[in-house]
Amino acid sequence: MLSVLVRRDLAVKYQQSVLGYLWSLIEPLTMALIYWFIFGLLFDTQIPGGGSYPMFIISGIFAWAWFNSAINESTSALTSQSLLVTTINMPREMFPLGKVLGRFAEYVAGLPILIGAAVVFDAQITWRTLVALPLAVILQFALLAGISLLLSAATVMLRDVERFVRLFVRILFYAAPIIYPLSKVYESQTLPEWAKRLYVADPLVGIFQLHHAAWFPDEFPSLRLLAFTVAGTLIVLTAGVLLFRRLEPSVLKEL
Amino acid sequence: MIRAEGLGIRFHQGRKRNLRLRELVFYGTSRDPYRGDFWPFRDVSFDIRPGEAVGIVGRNGTGKSTLLRLIAGVLIPDEGSVRIGGKVAPLLELSAGFSGDLTGRENVHLVGSLHGMSAADLRRRFDRIVDFAGEQVRRSIDSPVRHYSSGMRVRLGFSVIAQLEHPILLVDEVMAVGDAEFRAKCYDTMEELLAQGRTMVLVSHEESDLTRFCTRGLFLHEGQLAVDGSMAEAIRAYKEVTTSS
Repeated sequence: MLSVLVRRDLAVKYQQSVLGYLWSLIEPLTMALIYWFIFGLLFDTQIPGGGSYPMFIISGIFAWAWFNSAINESTSALTSQSLLVTTINMPREMFPLGKVLGRFAEYVAGLPILIGAAVVFDAQITWRTLVALPLAVILQFALLAGISLLLSAATVMLRDVERFVRLFVRILFYAAPIIYPLSKVYESQTLPEWAKRLYVADPLVGIFQLHHAAWFPDEFPSLRLLAFTVAGTLIVLTAGVLLFRRLEPSVLKEL
Repeated sequence: MIRAEGLGIRFHQGRKRNLRLRELVFYGTSRDPYRGDFWPFRDVSFDIRPGEAVGIVGRNGTGKSTLLRLIAGVLIPDEGSVRIGGKVAPLLELSAGFSGDLTGRENVHLVGSLHGMSAADLRRRFDRIVDFAGEQVRRSIDSPVRHYSSGMRVRLGFSVIAQLEHPILLVDEVMAVGDAEFRAKCYDTMEELLAQGRTMVLVSHEESDLTRFCTRGLFLHEGQLAVDGSMAEAIRAYKEVTTSS
């Protein structure tokens, strides 16, 4: 059933565009180009352990594209498919989870580009690549599942959620080490200690460090950071599942 | 086959604010949680045996469609429970759940497979489904469903649902939309399905449809299950109410 939903979702998304799924590659690559221009060329950002900054951006931006589009689309997962939700009896969780999975398929489609970039920019492909990348994907999946369940149900009850999410996701982008190395935050003199602690509590920090660590061994998160990330992810996932169950009866009435 | 016990559902009237943030977080802290609430019906119990055909009558807004949705499992009751002894083939609100931006063909595949038809099943039955829906639908099977007339949509929807092998069939006001030819086809199919021993629950305002198929009638009135008896009894009670007011 889930695969039916995902396939349909992809079919609808790409049926009227000429470039089809290439869009899921063009968008992150364009963003990467912009960030490279600003922070690479103009501000001359350096990666602490050495290595190419373009590769650093690319390793973060593809994962971010998945996160971003999954959040935005799962927010409206129930409202946009209300006809199906209100006529076919199936686990309602499938609608938001299907969106997460569909956007994951696009991420997978971008993996060859990521690996190609790693070869071109001479990234270090080590055993860490094989550990960090799957771990990052699993954690991101769990986190997205939690958030998508939470948001899809909340949107039905309160349509403002959708606008709020778009803004909030933008904040999250800059609040995680995606286009800048984490060391910049740790080394910052102006950032107070409590702000740094708050920063690290965001599970995205650990997840994106893992995405980077696949190609930059020095970025591999510490055990402490990993523990924070796993705990944070599990909390969000549990909250999402519980809230979805709690709101489900009202959601069905509202649709 | 279908057992409802103490069934009740509550809707919120007035949708100024659907949800307060603190209601999201805390349980029942709202000062006056029942203000503006509305129960279409409460404490409804019945037991439908396999092979029965049950008609539901009642005036507008008495919760006939809501009851059907509860049976279909696409609404969750606030009180009581519904237990279903098999899969349900629902045709609710004149639509089988088609999405307007997909073509008729894609919708048949989507809705069919979400209802549990296998790919092989779908291939085998696809022509029959389109045949049944009629010539007009066949010609536009590859154009988006949003271009279909409501009659065409209902026909295709009924065709898909009728091809499901699920033991329970729920039908909501379908006959009202189709033309005479399609009605005749529907009647034949429903008789065939009933002859196969399926259980059916039908919502309709057409007395002739109800008496034709249903052996048992439920009459919903003033938030209660007022009559649970033969179809004729239910219709008689319904008519008394509508003529006296």
